[in-house]
Amino acid sequence: MTKDHRVSRRTFLSTAGSGALLAATIGIAPQFIRPGRAFAADALAPGMIGGPTGFEGAERYQYGPDTPEGRAIEALKELKGAGKAPDKIVLGLSDGSIGQLTQPFPAGAPSIKELFEKETGIALDIVPMPNGQEFTKTMQDISTNAGQFDIYAVEWNRLGDLAETGGIVKMDDFVAAHKPEWDDPERGYVNGAKGVSLLNQYRGSTYGVCLDGDFQTWNYRTDLFGDANEKKAFADKFGYELAPPRTFKQLDEISTFFFRPDQNMLGSTDLRTQGWGYTNWYQRFTSMASPNQFLFADDGTPLITSDAGVAATQEYIDSLKYKSPDAISWSWPEQYGNFGQGGAAMTCAFSNLPKFLDNAGNTGSVITGKVGSFLPPGREIDGGLVRRTVLWFNLSASISAQSKNPEAAYLLLQWLGSSRIYSWMTANPGGYFDPFQLSNFADPLVRQTYHDYHMDVVRESVARTVPSINFAGATAFHSALDENLVASLTGAKTAQQAMADTAASWKQTFDKIGSEKMLEAIKTNKAAWPTVVDPIG
Amino acid sequence: MRRPIAFEVFRYAAIALAVAITLVPIAWMTSMAFKPTAEWQATGANLTWWPKSPTLDNFRFIFGQSSTALIVALERTAAKPILSSLLSAGFGTLIAMGAGTAAAYGLSRFKAGGNLPLALLQLRLFPPMAVMIPVMVMWTFLKLNDTWFGLALIYGIVTLPFAFWLMKTFFDDFPREIEEAALVEGCSRFRVFLKVTLPMMAAPLASSALFVFILNWSDYLIALLLTNREWATIPVYMASLSSSMTGQLYGAKAALGLIAAVPPVIAGIAIQRHLVRGLTFGALKQ
Amino acid sequence: MTSFAETEATLAIAADDADRADRRLGLYLTLPAQILVLFIAVFPLLMQLYISLTSWSPLSGRGWWDAWTLWNNFANYLNLAVDARWWSALLRTLLVMAICVPAEFLLGLALAILFMDNFRGKRVFYSILLMPMMVVPAVAGYMFFMLFQSGGPVNNIASAISGHNVAIAWLSNPSLAFIAVAVADIWQWTPLMFLILLAGLLGVPDDQLKAATLLGANWWQRFVTIMLPRMRAIIVIALAIRLIENFKIFDTLYIMTAGGPGTATETISVFIYKLTTNDLSWGYVAAIALVVLISLSVALGIAIARQTKRREAAS
Repeated sequence: MTKDHRVSRRTFLSTAGSGALLAATIGIAPQFIRPGRAFAADALAPGMIGGPTGFEGAERYQYGPDTPEGRAIEALKELKGAGKAPDKIVLGLSDGSIGQLTQPFPAGAPSIKELFEKETGIALDIVPMPNGQEFTKTMQDISTNAGQFDIYAVEWNRLGDLAETGGIVKMDDFVAAHKPEWDDPERGYVNGAKGVSLLNQYRGSTYGVCLDGDFQTWNYRTDLFGDANEKKAFADKFGYELAPPRTFKQLDEISTFFFRPDQNMLGSTDLRTQGWGYTNWYQRFTSMASPNQFLFADDGTPLITSDAGVAATQEYIDSLKYKSPDAISWSWPEQYGNFGQGGAAMTCAFSNLPKFLDNAGNTGSVITGKVGSFLPPGREIDGGLVRRTVLWFNLSASISAQSKNPEAAYLLLQWLGSSRIYSWMTANPGGYFDPFQLSNFADPLVRQTYHDYHMDVVRESVARTVPSINFAGATAFHSALDENLVASLTGAKTAQQAMADTAASWKQTFDKIGSEKMLEAIKTNKAAWPTVVDPIG
Repeated sequence: MRRPIAFEVFRYAAIALAVAITLVPIAWMTSMAFKPTAEWQATGANLTWWPKSPTLDNFRFIFGQSSTALIVALERTAAKPILSSLLSAGFGTLIAMGAGTAAAYGLSRFKAGGNLPLALLQLRLFPPMAVMIPVMVMWTFLKLNDTWFGLALIYGIVTLPFAFWLMKTFFDDFPREIEEAALVEGCSRFRVFLKVTLPMMAAPLASSALFVFILNWSDYLIALLLTNREWATIPVYMASLSSSMTGQLYGAKAALGLIAAVPPVIAGIAIQRHLVRGLTFGALKQ
Repeated sequence: MTSFAETEATLAIAADDADRADRRLGLYLTLPAQILVLFIAVFPLLMQLYISLTSWSPLSGRGWWDAWTLWNNFANYLNLAVDARWWSALLRTLLVMAICVPAEFLLGLALAILFMDNFRGKRVFYSILLMPMMVVPAVAGYMFFMLFQSGGPVNNIASAISGHNVAIAWLSNPSLAFIAVAVADIWQWTPLMFLILLAGLLGVPDDQLKAATLLGANWWQRFVTIMLPRMRAIIVIALAIRLIENFKIFDTLYIMTAGGPGTATETISVFIYKLTTNDLSWGYVAAIALVVLISLSVALGIAIARQTKRREAAS
């Protein structure tokens, strides 16, 4: 990255041709974007057998024969040679993420799709699924035996539900044969084998390959928090210094302080709408005990009707006072739109918020260069600070039981989901797939896209992340919680009622699925909960 | 009948109010369609009814041109969904009108298919949502899922009742003497139907078809469940118009909404008069 | 004499032949429609009936044809009888109908009366007033979603009129969201009522009205004693069309609120949609579908029987 290659943003925007349009308008990492390929690594680095070329740093994403990516490609070629490989693999993918596979990034690079097709001779047919309807469309394909896909990409915590349908393939044999090295301590998943079990496995078997890192992370506006007048006014009023909140009490106070509807300024816009809001309830609830406030007791009794549950719910309701009056109907597009317009002091969102909104190429954003990240707020318990966030949505790819070539599909996923290709893909601003592996957090290109300040916070947030309910029945458990929380927000139910009704409905689902299966699942789920407790102060 | 002046004043005031209320949503959508990104989010006191700097960016954007303000070009442009809506609604109309016209004539002239009026009424009465599960199963089995012709087929069935009822009304009104004159000249009944009756019914046929087309064009629910990859229709596609850069793409949605409104509005204006006759199922003439 | 009898016999045979040919042609002509109806009725009904007796769901990991293994002794029907959410969705749907259809009718009738005779600008106003029914309902949904934001145009207009800053969060409040949804429906479908009722009013014979005027009847008397009774059939049809379509309300509503907040605007169609796509309890959905179908058929049967009786009584 020599200085010679720096192109000022202005020159750059005026000269950008349509070919470089994406990279250009994104405005990320100007040092990566060069009109020619004078210094590009057009050939593979020594010892490498595959990977992207054509841009500086490409060697980081290239692979030798003894890597998960290398093994996957070699095995695919072998299948192809034996005439056992399909002509194409059909991959169903949420609309918003497709760009990361189809748009070349950075300038000079091929797209992921092009590279895969070139290396294996197998076409990659990417089918858009409407954002938010991935599960519905997948279930439709499974239950009607439509067989339209080789691979489904669905929210990770539906893995249990999907596995129970028999509609997706158990990948254990493929994993044993091709060694994906997901738990590699240097490059692999955070928390090693435990992380792999959380993201890819259900009841001890692999059913999915994680392709996302939707750890809910917190952002704030550095310009507001750094403003001398604001600092003074805040300190005068609350008696402590204005800084990113460490506790929910501080979060609520700072949010109230910044809530100025007449100036179009909201406090914190962490979501409250149906289908999204409950992730923020999770954060408030699970941090109620040290190290964790669990959702279920070991015997399966719901713990949410406790004082902790009611208090967390009450806080969750009370926080409406520093949000938009429309908070109950706001989903992420409204949240991102508002934050980009400078309409809030803080928010909690997918980890890609800074990639899109603190982005010189996003001329619609007024907060470029003014965003900071902080660890989730928590609670001081027994001399420690318990801060918890939640893993949620997070697309994970599974192989359809109707696929005629499950092994080829698996090999594609091993290639796509391993640390080299995935780092390269997640750095691409064309979609929603976010970093989650150790190698992603350390990768310069990823750090460029997601920003240094954010990447370290995300990595630390991952260590404080509780899994949402990810076992069979997840859909039913979450709809019950979700509906009751919305009812409590609209005032239709009190916090107490909402929790009691949720617990009642949970008991029904629990009985429906069967105690034995449930208890085992709850135990596995709990094993994945974090134990980190921060020091106070 | 002469009206007092007070009535005239009242009438204009009332109509003006009704027109204003009618136009508010349409005006808002139109204005939004021409607003640049920066003006989409303006709320409260900053809200403007007239775009400060009108632009065609929203229209360019949905057809694939990237605008710097919207950052990324669309992965899928609106062209295919528009085509999908046109094909499915168009051929759906063809199916409904073909089967409906024939059946209406059969019943009107030969008292055939006496069960149809009631069966079709029931078909229209029943919420489509409630049969979508078996329909999804059938469509998958027949490989009709996510194809424009699969959508056209279900549209044709769902709007068949209207095609049938409308055409039956028109046939009931059609003077039989004309047909009988042709019969005497030695034409077969079917030839009379094809060569005499149908041509003379061109206007009612066209207006019924346009009406059925509007119904098909308006569907959201069925397409939501029966399309996913290739053939999403306009309303289904519209839901995907949001971006992590700017949030809801209000302008793009409004622009597409405006485009979606064009065919039915034109069709609607063209058939206003026949619409009434058809919709009242002949009750008017008594 | 013989010739006459012969001719008559030949004619009768010819008529018979023609009759048979006609009947055959009638059969052929109605065949496509019959096939389409059977196509959409037979399999779906049988499948619904079958899975409604089981707890089958795509999550069960079995194909639907294997649903018999999950036979559940009519539990779906029993559950439906005590499912509070179903009853409230049903009541809510009826409430939407009870609010929207009369409102559309009265507003449409009022407008139609204003349009009965000629005045300047009539054609233009008429065309404008009919526009909402041409707007795709899903598009109308997006429009009203924007209109009813707390910082949106509706509050903006309210602020301008009242002089105060109005910032009502329409779609976040259960009762207001319900009102917003009703407003959208009334906006979209009043034009249809207007169109039909105006045609009905214009169809009332002029001479009767003139005679009544000569007899000294004022406008209201003419309206009540002549126009309304004359329009009876057309009013029934207009109301029936809207009641049928309103019962199925989904598109606009779903885009505006998705049945929310909570379940505040959840109608039957939305309820079934959610069960189908989120909960995936398809056996249960099938039971609901059959109950709805049977109830509607019974209601339809009663309505038709009454109508026939009335017609017989009249003749």
